[in-house]
Amino acid sequence: MWARQTVLCTILVFAALVTQQSFLTRLGLPGATPDLLLVTVIALAFTYGPLTGAVVGFGAGMALDFAPSTAGPIGVVALIFMVMGFVSGAAVDPRDRNPPVLIGIIGLSCGAFVIAFAGIGSILGDVRVDWEQAPTLLLTATLYGGLLGLAVVPAVSILVGKITPEAVV
Amino acid sequence: MFSRRTRFVLVALFITTLTFVILDLRGGQGPFTSFRSAMSGAVGGGEQVGSLIFSPFLGVANWWGTWGDQRDRIAGLTAENDELRLLVERSAADRERAEQLDGLLRVAGVGRYEIVPAEILAVGPAQEFAWTVTIDAGNADGVQRDMSVINGQGLVGRVQSVTKNTATVVLLVDASISVGARVAGSSEIGILSGTGRQDSLEFQMIDPGAGLDPGQSLVTFGSKRGRPYSPGIPIGEVVSVAGTAGQLTRIATIRPFADVSTLGVVGVVIRPPREDPRDSVLPDAPRASPAATVPSSILPSPTPLASASASPTPSASAIATPAASPAPSQEVERAATPEPSTGGTN
Repeated sequence: MWARQTVLCTILVFAALVTQQSFLTRLGLPGATPDLLLVTVIALAFTYGPLTGAVVGFGAGMALDFAPSTAGPIGVVALIFMVMGFVSGAAVDPRDRNPPVLIGIIGLSCGAFVIAFAGIGSILGDVRVDWEQAPTLLLTATLYGGLLGLAVVPAVSILVGKITPEAVV
Repeated sequence: MFSRRTRFVLVALFITTLTFVILDLRGGQGPFTSFRSAMSGAVGGGEQVGSLIFSPFLGVANWWGTWGDQRDRIAGLTAENDELRLLVERSAADRERAEQLDGLLRVAGVGRYEIVPAEILAVGPAQEFAWTVTIDAGNADGVQRDMSVINGQGLVGRVQSVTKNTATVVLLVDASISVGARVAGSSEIGILSGTGRQDSLEFQMIDPGAGLDPGQSLVTFGSKRGRPYSPGIPIGEVVSVAGTAGQLTRIATIRPFADVSTLGVVGVVIRPPREDPRDSVLPDAPRASPAATVPSSILPSPTPLASASASPTPSASAIATPAASPAPSQEVERAATPEPSTGGTN
């Protein structure tokens, strides 16, 4: 099971990363970029629990930190994604999944990412952080995250059920 | 609450990320340069494939709308229709790309820059506040760190890091960028910095007493051996100037010539020109060029009139118009100006 779970998580994270970096960022949507990678991480955390959520969040965040089109300090996104993977995995009982709650958690996490990234950036002295843009980014990121969650959460839980049926209680 | 293992893994991951952040923030090349380059190569490869797959779908937003109407048609016709549609989209995209490349070649030709053309592969996410893009030229094409990147309109940014086949470009509007700039037509210099907004830059003049007016253009001042900025590249035009002449610092708002939100084809300047092209690369006089040409054609009216008297028949009618046009307009002006005064006296 571990091998299949690892392969599934890796493929999903890489596909989400590539789709986000070369498609969603270029759509030119107003405000934030739809954070497909974070939504995928949280959807995986919902099904596999907090520990896997944290590890997948760490890996996905590192991949985004090292991606050639990003320029922030390495490790910041990994830190935020790790915490969010853990918290959303711990907050939801896999046997009692309530779809509106799941979508709400995803939307709020995407919004919280904006605040967390800007906050850490400010603490580390990143001159690029512009708090005036934060409210717009926060609202749009929450909205896009929730919308993506509507599609990604069912898709991930179907994939998980097919590939690692043992994980579904 | 959580098991020993969970806590152990969490703490380990937490310490790892903090280590990465701290080591990366030490600045300079850092211990991750080669690792980052390898990782960037892997992810950049994925982005290259993704860009190839997604490129037909970008800008085909209404594709799904028409899809529903065609469903009831014959399957073969539908397939053929889609294929043709894709071809048309692609040819439109190709034409646009060719136009951008033309503009780039014109700039490179006038300024004698030696460039490597490249296309945008991916854009950094907006919530990270950085304006960065990935382009499809790298070490293998001669691109190196700190080279200027231009397009058909002007300066786009500079190369921040390079892998074998891709390079990351920090755009001009990124808040961490500052460029030495010179006001076209005068030798006033200053420092231009990005604001993080895509349509405005800030320009601070070295000499606070110098004059600066909206509409004036800026070009790069140039760096040593053309890195990171080659000399003479158009940057943008002055939109507004805050503060009056003689104030301690004068900040002007600049609108960049290059629109960073619609970048397609860009060029990396791999070798700057041997001599500074000065202002020759700037677009043709954006400041009221028709107004400047009309009076110059009217003012030397004595000479055309003299030539008209020498050769009367065919050219007289052609020259009669410029000679005739100033006279009524002056009459109109004379008629227009006394009117308020006469109205006042009556």
